[in-house]
Amino acid sequence: MKHARVLFTGSGQLNGAELDVTVEDSFATTGQLKSKTDGQLINESDVTWLSPIKEPGTIFALGLNYADHARELAFEPPKEPLVFLKGANTLTGHKQNAYRPDNIDFQHYECELVAVIGKEGKNISREDAMDYVAGYTVCNDFAIRDYLENYYRPNLRVKSRDSLLPIGPWLIDKEDVGDITNLRVTTHVNGELTQDGSTADIIFDVPFLVEYLSKIMTLKPGDMIATGTPEGLKDMQPGDKVVCEIEKIGALETYIVSEQEFYGDKY
Amino acid sequence: MTNNPIVKGKLVCVALNDANQFEAMQAEFNEAPYKSAPTQPVLYFKTHNTWSTDGASVEWATNEGQAVDSMVVGASLAVVFGEECCRVSQDEALKYVGGYTLVHDFSLPELTYYRPDIKGKCLDGSAPIGSVVIPASDISDPQALTVTTQVNGETVHEMPVSQMVRSVAELISTISYIMTLQPGDVIAIGFPGQRAPVKQGDKVSSAIAGVIELNNVVGRA
Repeated sequence: MKHARVLFTGSGQLNGAELDVTVEDSFATTGQLKSKTDGQLINESDVTWLSPIKEPGTIFALGLNYADHARELAFEPPKEPLVFLKGANTLTGHKQNAYRPDNIDFQHYECELVAVIGKEGKNISREDAMDYVAGYTVCNDFAIRDYLENYYRPNLRVKSRDSLLPIGPWLIDKEDVGDITNLRVTTHVNGELTQDGSTADIIFDVPFLVEYLSKIMTLKPGDMIATGTPEGLKDMQPGDKVVCEIEKIGALETYIVSEQEFYGDKY
Repeated sequence: MTNNPIVKGKLVCVALNDANQFEAMQAEFNEAPYKSAPTQPVLYFKTHNTWSTDGASVEWATNEGQAVDSMVVGASLAVVFGEECCRVSQDEALKYVGGYTLVHDFSLPELTYYRPDIKGKCLDGSAPIGSVVIPASDISDPQALTVTTQVNGETVHEMPVSQMVRSVAELISTISYIMTLQPGDVIAIGFPGQRAPVKQGDKVSSAIAGVIELNNVVGRA
């Protein structure tokens, strides 16, 4: 099953309510979502998509975790996972804006498979790891390369900015996906294919990462592990539409806007 | 593990903000892997699982099932946000502070600042936060405060906030341009560069004299 969260923006007493919905197979043709509360059908045109994880926990992301991407950046593949953290301020939903900071030269997308933890655990073995995963979603882990410094790299200024982790459109139960070791990972910018890889190139896979992280700390429901991105980086500009898609999971659409447009009165 | 009722969203910590440490590391900053001194505040998160409370026992860390050899602690003045803080100037920064408290950062020794230190910093229960938040209106100048830390009654740190590379107001401003801070978010503004070693069973007490204190015990493996 696909689980999503939306803000109802249509008319009536639901206006302004955050709703838990399911996304049925019929969605592709009807554009209708189904309320989990009362089964009511809701038109996509009456909602704003939110992050599908209601109470986000720790957001882990992996750097240099695809063999092809590590080559692209001229790095030796790491011997140990390069894990960094992101704040919940970075999260935004499907079909939302993400901003390009002023006066920078290079901002790129990163299409990533996200494993969402569904059960608390510590010292989880690789063999048991998938019991702790609820399902998957897609994220776009944007980076501002201009801001890289060699301190806690990739540093928070690069990786923990408002709106720069679009996620969704939905969380899909792991049982509905099955094997995740050979899924196609693509990004389209303004309709052009710019990134085309496969989760087969992942260096440290989901069971490994659950074991690795849970040896360090307790994992909790709502924690997310973004598993890194394949090669194919491209600069983003305001006006660009970016679609990150992972086979069997979903396609996440994001619109790039300027810093001024994003922050409006707070700019 | 005990959750903390004060910190609600994120706990951002500032590393390398002790001016003495920063000065002493200048030569090291110019070498690999850093290659040049940081131009921006060096920030890290203490994750949800680390949040703990005054009086709590702090778990001794393990690695591959074995108790680690050494752990360290530092204390910091903690700024608790009272309202949303997005892209604010230094001049206005302190208006967004709801109050002040203390944070202990227990961790593995800080051997390198090159990569995010997940193994060292994300240990369960390793970030106790004071049980009392002193209203911002009671602190006319946070730069005038001094944080002291004792291990088993012996003073190991005495760190005036004025000895930091960056001030409270400057850090709030800079961080607010990276990430919007929400009510209940916390920034730990800086720790002594030489963290104090602790052993199993040690009592760690930090204070801002006459204002607030934070007491923890290091647990057994």
